[in-house]
Amino acid sequence: MMQKMIGVICNECKKVYYPKRSCCPNCKDIQLKEVEIGNTCTLITYTELWAVPKGIDKLPLTLGIFEFENGARVLGQIISKKIEIGMKFQPLWSKIRKINGKEIYGFIFESIS
Amino acid sequence: MIREVNIIGCGMTKFGNRSNEGLIDLLKEASINAIKDAGINHQLIQAVYVSSMLSGELTNQTAIASALCDELCLVPAAADRIENGPASGGSAIKNAFLAIASGVYDAILVVGGEKMRNSPGDKITDLLATMTHPTAEYIHGVTMPSLAAMFTRLYMTKYGVERKHLAMVAVKNHENALKNPYAHLQRRVTLEGIFFSREAEVNNPLIAEPLRLYDMCPISDGAASILVCSNKIANKLLDSPVKIAGFGQATDIQAVSQRSDPTELKAVRLSADQAFKMAKMKREDIDVVELHDAFTILEIAESENAGFFKRGTGHIALEEGITALDGKLPINPSGGLKARGHPVGATGVAQVVELAWQLKEEAGERQVQGAQKAYCCNFGGFGNNVVSFVLRRDQ
Amino acid sequence: MTTENVESILRLDWTIPKKDYSAKIIILPTGEKMVIREISRKEVPQLLDTIRPLLTISKDYYDIVSARVYAELLGWYRYRVRNEYCLVGIVNGELAGIVNNRIFNDKLCISLHTIALKRGARVGAHLFAAKQEHAIENYKVDEIFVTAESPIGFKRWMVEWGLEARPNVQHELGGANAYALTKESYFEKKNKKVFGERPVPKEELQKSMNFKTVIPDVAR
Repeated sequence: MMQKMIGVICNECKKVYYPKRSCCPNCKDIQLKEVEIGNTCTLITYTELWAVPKGIDKLPLTLGIFEFENGARVLGQIISKKIEIGMKFQPLWSKIRKINGKEIYGFIFESIS
Repeated sequence: MIREVNIIGCGMTKFGNRSNEGLIDLLKEASINAIKDAGINHQLIQAVYVSSMLSGELTNQTAIASALCDELCLVPAAADRIENGPASGGSAIKNAFLAIASGVYDAILVVGGEKMRNSPGDKITDLLATMTHPTAEYIHGVTMPSLAAMFTRLYMTKYGVERKHLAMVAVKNHENALKNPYAHLQRRVTLEGIFFSREAEVNNPLIAEPLRLYDMCPISDGAASILVCSNKIANKLLDSPVKIAGFGQATDIQAVSQRSDPTELKAVRLSADQAFKMAKMKREDIDVVELHDAFTILEIAESENAGFFKRGTGHIALEEGITALDGKLPINPSGGLKARGHPVGATGVAQVVELAWQLKEEAGERQVQGAQKAYCCNFGGFGNNVVSFVLRRDQ
Repeated sequence: MTTENVESILRLDWTIPKKDYSAKIIILPTGEKMVIREISRKEVPQLLDTIRPLLTISKDYYDIVSARVYAELLGWYRYRVRNEYCLVGIVNGELAGIVNNRIFNDKLCISLHTIALKRGARVGAHLFAAKQEHAIENYKVDEIFVTAESPIGFKRWMVEWGLEARPNVQHELGGANAYALTKESYFEKKNKKVFGERPVPKEELQKSMNFKTVIPDVAR
């Protein structure tokens, strides 16, 4: 099943956020509409984490912050090995970890070569 | 019109691995030290504010302010436990300030403490990670070091901060802590040992790339305490008490990714502006500073956002020795969180204790000569709640 | 069968040619220099004196590790252990750490123990790397079987060196689960784990020959 990344756009200042929120941190407006975030984003920063939380089975865990064309900035796990600031990535729906034995799903990011 | 607020007593415990003491023991030790330092009859204390972030989760004790009141025979004083993550100490002092300034109370004991070292490291990392945004950050495996690391990479790209500068913060703060008998870590580290040598790869291993072991503060046990009071009490005891001249507090967007400029620490800037405005002072007036270097990058970033250096030049000031103990604007003479240690609830109070000692010329070998005005900031979450103070002592 | 004959049956020493370990100097995070060198059999009694106070300290598993190292070193001294070598780390003329291994045969080395007496300076990590360096590069074994008694040990060896689990092998230390460091893996990891300058300057080497034994950090 293809999950779409759905965030919100502020009616007033048009800033976009993901995950959804009920008020705009930029202009404080409370009229926010659902909007699709998109399939392509640019990596703006990342880290390889060597001290990983329980329930994460990767070592290291690579995390990044991505910027979409509509301005939304999103944090997620990276599964690609070759990583550089400025590279293009796409969000994929996947299992991201376990919490108390329960599987948790979310968007992870893979580079678009 | 708000009343003046004075600090008439300070005390702290040695920070570190306090395996023989429980949390209440540490809070008591610091409190008694502060009360003795003040030299007042402790029955004058009308309220007790205790800052501790994780007393419930780590020591199985909640409502700890009430318990401490009884332990210290301060019953029936009013008491609250105050929690604001790593800025709990700052918040507790802020609340005491408001209570005295409002005219309702005349003498308040503030004490912050944490007992962390007898809990597993991964449990502590997880509990601290619960400050992060639950769906935008926590769920993905974010820990505080990982946020600091991503922030550091952005800072390095934008401002040319290098790993060498991060190591210089650690070296400076460890050196300062050698002169602080209360500090957790009292061992020198050198740029060669943690950065230049090939051995640095093992000596200073990666935790959250590019941040390494010596870029992170240790996990510590400890407590710190101050006694604050109105002029009515202070003027009877001291010719020239230390005054909390101003405070400020501000929040910011929780998820780092959602901030308009993730390299900007807006809450540091806003809270500092408020504190300086209330104190009717300027940045140039300040003689000594304590910043919240939970990660070495934060000392550099906070020194800029608090208004002491232009954005992107904090690392240059560090390089030039301006922030060294013998520099023009010493930062973290105590050793900072990096070497003094970081019992989470104690830190905000410990920063003010250090600055009060500096202003009273009681800082021993790490005394900043002629210090009369000081600034500190206590950084909660990843900068989404910051409390700033400006202190002064007229001579 | 006379007593002399029985002693020659019971006596163990080196059954393969001994290889020299060339001493080296390591820079610690404190900026201090640590000399790592191999000890001779006659230095064992002094090491035993240092280890003895640790025998009753349960914190961080010092009691069991030091009890086993004590037995291994005493065993070597009394000719009841085969092919054992021991390296020490000396900082400012004081004993900072002890590591030991046993060469099983020309293909296999058994990693025994690592004790850090000076803590918080990565002494154990550097000494562990040095003793494996000796086994792989000087004795040219194909692999080393490693185990751990403490969580810190597990983290430093199994996790940080990425050792291979060997579920069918029991380590000679109590039959514990064994993990292997192969020579391929050693050379892959070498440039991030194995350091040091050679040769050690004469003065430093001389200072390290008459080391002082101090009360270990954890026993203070």
